[in-house]
Amino acid sequence: MKRLIALSLAGVAMSCSLAWAGPEVVSGPGVNPACFSPWAEDTKYFQWEEREGPFKIAVVNGFVGNGWRIQMVKTAKAFAEDPAIKDKISEFKVVSTGTDAAVQLGAIEDFINQGYDAIVTIAVSPDGFDRVIRLADRNDVVLVPFDNVLDTDKVMQVNEDQIEMGRMYAEHVLAVLSSQGKTSGKLLEVRGLAGNSVDRDRSRGIHQVLDESGGEWEVISVVGNWDDGTAKKVVSDAIAVHGEFDGVLAQGGTNGVVQALLDTGHPMVPMSGEAENGYRKALAKYATDGLKGISIGQSPGLVAISMKAAISALEGNVMPQLISVPLPVATYDELKDGTNYWSDLPDNFFTVNAFPPCDVYISGPSIMAQTEDNS
Amino acid sequence: MNDYKKSLKLAIGQNMGFTVATVGLLLLWLLYNILHPGGFSSAVLIQNTNESVVIVFVAIAQTFPILLGGLDLSVGAVMTLANCVASALMSGSPIQILIGAIITLLTGTAFGFLNGMIVVYGRIQPIIATLATGSIAIGLALFIRPQPGGDVDGDLGWALTNDLYELVYTYGWWDADAAWFSPFAWIPVPLLIIIIVGFGIWLPFKKTVTGRTIYAVGSSESAAFMSGLPIERAKLTAFTMAGFFAACGGLYLAIQTSSGNADMTQAGSYTLNSIAAVVLGGTSLFGGVGGAIGSLVGALLLRMLSFYFRIMSIDPLLQPLIEGVVLLVAVSLGALRTLRTKNRLRLFR
Repeated sequence: MKRLIALSLAGVAMSCSLAWAGPEVVSGPGVNPACFSPWAEDTKYFQWEEREGPFKIAVVNGFVGNGWRIQMVKTAKAFAEDPAIKDKISEFKVVSTGTDAAVQLGAIEDFINQGYDAIVTIAVSPDGFDRVIRLADRNDVVLVPFDNVLDTDKVMQVNEDQIEMGRMYAEHVLAVLSSQGKTSGKLLEVRGLAGNSVDRDRSRGIHQVLDESGGEWEVISVVGNWDDGTAKKVVSDAIAVHGEFDGVLAQGGTNGVVQALLDTGHPMVPMSGEAENGYRKALAKYATDGLKGISIGQSPGLVAISMKAAISALEGNVMPQLISVPLPVATYDELKDGTNYWSDLPDNFFTVNAFPPCDVYISGPSIMAQTEDNS
Repeated sequence: MNDYKKSLKLAIGQNMGFTVATVGLLLLWLLYNILHPGGFSSAVLIQNTNESVVIVFVAIAQTFPILLGGLDLSVGAVMTLANCVASALMSGSPIQILIGAIITLLTGTAFGFLNGMIVVYGRIQPIIATLATGSIAIGLALFIRPQPGGDVDGDLGWALTNDLYELVYTYGWWDADAAWFSPFAWIPVPLLIIIIVGFGIWLPFKKTVTGRTIYAVGSSESAAFMSGLPIERAKLTAFTMAGFFAACGGLYLAIQTSSGNADMTQAGSYTLNSIAAVVLGGTSLFGGVGGAIGSLVGALLLRMLSFYFRIMSIDPLLQPLIEGVVLLVAVSLGALRTLRTKNRLRLFR
């Protein structure tokens, strides 16, 4: 009997398969544009049918095994307990599938079968999700990829603008240098994981600004893989070979970069970097010595924004197809212990977890308090 | 009747690992469906088989070299290579798609044959030879697809990853709602693919002289040689079959994801998981004991673990740990036979 019902349901679904279920493409503007700001002017807008909460939400992570991902998982769990959305979630589950695409696709399909309302995911590959997108649309499930987004405009996605981040890195460093009267000089660029689009885009942004500035900048690029250990080594090597730099443009592994400056006795210079707690501690400590840095990061808190976006979509709000999360920026003169960095938390903790326009405030300690309990 | 019972008992006794794995799988699957909110539905079965097809094929591929007493470290890489080849060729008219699929399978088969040649005529240990050729396969895959992408026919992907109903409906072969068809319409296509390709090739192959020789070589190569069995042919065939089945996996992955991805970590994890699946399915790493059907069951068992993670509440950060522990326990169960051996020296042969 059950099978018969399933079959007839499948039949009904097929008969209207030409008009895919799922979101309707509508015209903007969307809800709460300060938080869910559209990526570009021509970004489409989606609207799902409004439905009654509370909702069942799942997070399907891929690879797990670096600090960022672990913090992301903890953030997701902390945010699900947040009073602002706790009542809107009836069931919440997090799984990590590893790097196997078949397993990740399977997990998403499984949650669709289990009747979840929304699935938030970091895709293991920018391609290959056509089937689950079709299934999600057919079952009216809101699928929200974030961080590593998909090469498609058929789902709602959440990310930070990496080119803009690179631009802000360079703009800050050049601004500090020009206030010191320098409009040309030697800069060290510490790049991320080769072949990754995030590394490519951040570097592109940095070089756009350098080119536009018109100054004579000699840029030495080294590859730090966003890893503290690697970054420390390559920066030390670069200093040994090239001598002194006027500024450092790092985009990750920033703890290692600062450590290399300290170890080699390199003077403290203006720099850019990710949002590691250790880097911000160093900025607060050495700013007076000349370490006038800017810290912007890809926040593990993106998962919280994605969950919020999913809930907003389920409530029937108009949402941009590609959401650009405001960049969480802090410069050396804006740092405050206990607010945007924590002197009592580990160096590899990612600090940016507050997004005021989205009403998302997850404090560092509340994330760290998330233990290995059941999700 | 008595004879029948006796031979069944003998078959079970001789394939203890396989029997335990199969019974375990059935019990776990039953429990899973009871716990799952949509249990015992076609959708869940489709999802389960879809997630398992690739690892099943790669595990079957790995079975052949392991039966020889060797190991093929290139299966994951060949699977990835086939995936990338398929992603480049599988679009256009039905004929073009078919030719693309055939070329994909041929690529993997040829690669397996190459492995066999190196092992047989180069006289290099399989583990080293395939480690090297695995890198070559990944290199080729990266060359074909430096960035993930490709455009495998979307309808094909949809039809082959669903139940028979969708397959028939998508291509309009006959009226999908016909009364005679409805008893079969719920059967997942991936399940049929596994059964037809897996059983259809393995069962007849096992009975051939070449097939028996693979077992013989795994049990005792010198005895097989003394008996005048075609050892070289068996080794060549075993590696060629491994290449073919790995390519089947890659082809399905391309259909499933409608794209190709030369992902090195994924290739590595498939190779390692395939070995785990083969062992779980009751095949001995020393060779000569086991079979591809066991590996099929082993691969399904392996996947079953991740199914459970999604219906039970287990901390995501603990999942890899639990997976590892369960795997270790399962493999240890298979090793219990060592406690029963009469002479411990037998273990070191």
